[in-house]
Amino acid sequence: MSLTDDRAALDQWYTLGALRDFPVGAETPSRLLGEDLTVRRLSDGVEVRAAGRTLPVRTDYGHLWTSFGTPEHALFALPESQEPDRRWIHCGPVRVRASGLRLVENFLDLAHFPYVHTDILGSEAHPEVAKYEVEQRRDVDELWATKCEFYQPKAAAASDEGQISKYMYRVVSPFNVMLYKTPPTAPDRWDVIALFVQPLDEAVSVAHAFMLVIDETSTDAELSAFQQMIFVQDKIVLENQRPSLLPLQPGRETPTRADLSSVLYRRWLKEKQLRFGTEPRTDLQSTDLPNA
Amino acid sequence: MADWIPIALGRDVPDGVTRAVIVDGREVMIWRGEDGVAHVWEDRCPHRGMRLSLGFVRSNALNCLYHGWQYGAGANCLRIPAHPDLTVPPTIRANAYAAAETGGMVWMSADGASPAPLLPEATPVISLAIEAAPERVLAALGSSTAHPIAALPGAAGLLQLGWHRVHAAKTMLHATGTGADIAAATAQLRALRQNLEQGAAA
Repeated sequence: MSLTDDRAALDQWYTLGALRDFPVGAETPSRLLGEDLTVRRLSDGVEVRAAGRTLPVRTDYGHLWTSFGTPEHALFALPESQEPDRRWIHCGPVRVRASGLRLVENFLDLAHFPYVHTDILGSEAHPEVAKYEVEQRRDVDELWATKCEFYQPKAAAASDEGQISKYMYRVVSPFNVMLYKTPPTAPDRWDVIALFVQPLDEAVSVAHAFMLVIDETSTDAELSAFQQMIFVQDKIVLENQRPSLLPLQPGRETPTRADLSSVLYRRWLKEKQLRFGTEPRTDLQSTDLPNA
Repeated sequence: MADWIPIALGRDVPDGVTRAVIVDGREVMIWRGEDGVAHVWEDRCPHRGMRLSLGFVRSNALNCLYHGWQYGAGANCLRIPAHPDLTVPPTIRANAYAAAETGGMVWMSADGASPAPLLPEATPVISLAIEAAPERVLAALGSSTAHPIAALPGAAGLLQLGWHRVHAAKTMLHATGTGADIAAATAQLRALRQNLEQGAAA
């Protein structure tokens, strides 16, 4: 497989991982959108090269970012990264044999908590997903789901009892998503948990989970281990969805009211004419296809 | 796809259990309710495409692992836990194949247009995967892929072999016996597999 020709996918920022995972002076191989890359970390910067050309680089939020194209937007804002009492937790890369879009959609999903994260993020006795709100914020080109609530037996590493967690979800680009969630110890603030997806190929992805949390008691290792446990449970589901690529064709899957954020996400991907990581459609005339 | 195809030994799908099977490149799954009835469905939940073989059986219903959607024996969705008060529309259903159990094997049919075969009860022996095309495997047994069942030549007693195509170059055999020497039949089948797989490599 070689670099995709999907303009909508090329013109985005992608993370290649936490900066700390690229040692100074070393050359590290990487991959993105079907193409091999080389990352060279110098004492005064980072260089990302692919097939003889140098790609743009950013180093925001402790991560290395690059793009093959010309991103329409600047990298998303993350104001919580300026708050001095936030713990920055990198949860380590996890490779998943699935479309990165499936990873994002799973991240947006509340209804799986009782079944996939049983007795941690949800309980079979409380499976109901209450109505929540979704909106497309056209000024920043982001999707938001707000007023989400869910009963959680163990919402975070620092939890010692169940709570009704409040959530907000924010999709900042097709492969980058984050959530805001009530911390067990600071109910007036929001923990930030981000999932930055590095799509290696259409159906192979690396998930980089990153947290900016309010927690004065748990160790870094405990915070990271909690998130890793959750993500390993998600990985079992993600690698067993069929097809591995996200279907955008109407009727291929069956959304309900709990899937409102997924419905909006898929509509937004269609609007962008994104193809990378999506199942090829058979319901469009070839003249309707992007780049045809 | 051929009409009725044997895809597993009934013994290998106990009550309350699911099992994934690939039949001619299609991912299907078998589940057996607590009532002992075996069902064969496409291995895919219509909600988000999750493989149903990772799901769990409670009573006589299959539950998807991902969101707990519950499907009854008729493949219709009975319950969506995220919406406990919702009466699920009858259009939401898993994709079920016709299923039957006879001669110690679970059978499936894409359309169920003709009745399932009727075979006498038999003792399960072994299911065996062979990395060789069904045409070669059946020829080595002195039969052909025109028949869903072959006999094991030279076996003591009656040894019947159901078979299904996994993909072009892989065959599953499902052996059942009546008065057969199970240890001898198993050894004979393993030898057959070794011959066929070495032949493929040569």
